[in-house]
Amino acid sequence: MSLNNRDPLVVGGVIGDVLEQFTRSIDLRVTYGQREVTNGLDIRPSQILNKPRVEIGGDDLRNFYTLVMVDPDVPSPSNPHLREYLHWLVTDIPATTGTNFGNEIVSYENPRPTSGIHRIVLVLFRQLGRQTVYEPGWRPQFNTREFAALYNLGLPAAAVYFSCQRDNGCGGRRS
Amino acid sequence: MLSSAKHKINHSAFSVSSSSSSLPHSYSQAKNMTQVTMEEVWKDINLASLHQHRQLNIDHEPVLSNQNPNNSIFKDFLKKPLNQEPQPLPPSSSSSTLHRSLPPPPPETVLSLNPHSINTHFDESARFGCFGMKRGGQESDESRGDRRHKRMIKNRESAARSRARKQAYTNELELAISHLQKENARLKRQEEQLKMAEATQHQTKRKLQRSWTTPF
Repeated sequence: MSLNNRDPLVVGGVIGDVLEQFTRSIDLRVTYGQREVTNGLDIRPSQILNKPRVEIGGDDLRNFYTLVMVDPDVPSPSNPHLREYLHWLVTDIPATTGTNFGNEIVSYENPRPTSGIHRIVLVLFRQLGRQTVYEPGWRPQFNTREFAALYNLGLPAAAVYFSCQRDNGCGGRRS
Repeated sequence: MLSSAKHKINHSAFSVSSSSSSLPHSYSQAKNMTQVTMEEVWKDINLASLHQHRQLNIDHEPVLSNQNPNNSIFKDFLKKPLNQEPQPLPPSSSSSTLHRSLPPPPPETVLSLNPHSINTHFDESARFGCFGMKRGGQESDESRGDRRHKRMIKNRESAARSRARKQAYTNELELAISHLQKENARLKRQEEQLKMAEATQHQTKRKLQRSWTTPF
């Protein structure tokens, strides 16, 4: 599939700000309630209070995957000095299953952007094998690239992102 | 230490009364400092951009009072197409002494100030060292233009993000449509084939006879 520069992940800046260019190698389906997440979809915080259902593709239960959920636009897209905020981290997810079968290292924290329209990115990495992943210790200033390098996860296997802004108002004028 | 040097510049330029015996010392020290830094920065400036300044200076603002040389050039800079990148100054300490924690574009402000400040007295050059509200109207003019410029840049970035967001979502929808259309076509073909298979099977069904009988 030749997407080149029309790939929503590139146009939306996810590839660049968070991830390296990659070729998708597995299916990733993220669903909040009835709403399936497609790139760039606008979802409000009230709709993502609880963790989504995540189903991954593949065909071999012996392959394990790690899911990372980050917000690169904290505290505000015009001044993201806390990039990235780690919302969720699940490891050892067997292919063909979902996050329910994995190891929740960092529990799901629902995004509550205060200022601007944030991108919330979910990335799936393939693990080399079952591995111990240590929880980062804090959520802000997480770096997905470094995390992947640290645990030898390589390039992403799949990724999807959505847009999220406050339910009401605009958060006030930025300084 | 840079900020303390700037403070010295301020005090020596504006001090009404100072009992400090070190005042003359700091004055000359600060003056030397500004002279040196001005010259250094002056060297850093591209002749091309300097030429641009001169032209802008001539073309606009015929009444170029000594009070607002910086402001007019600043505005001219704003009028110029902003996508031409200002000449990147080497990250020398000299340029940093002329402005406090200014995010981009420090080069522009430095460039605009220097042609006028080189030969002026210390008083004016001192003003360039502090973009804050030290002297009523003069500084607030500069910082107002400054802030406006910053806000404009931020607005442009925000607009660019907004366009990117919209474009990304549109692309995603187009991809989804294409995918769904293909799947739809495939499923329809499959349905056709199944119907045909069922039709032929139906014909053969009529000919079916009892093929085997149970024992009882």
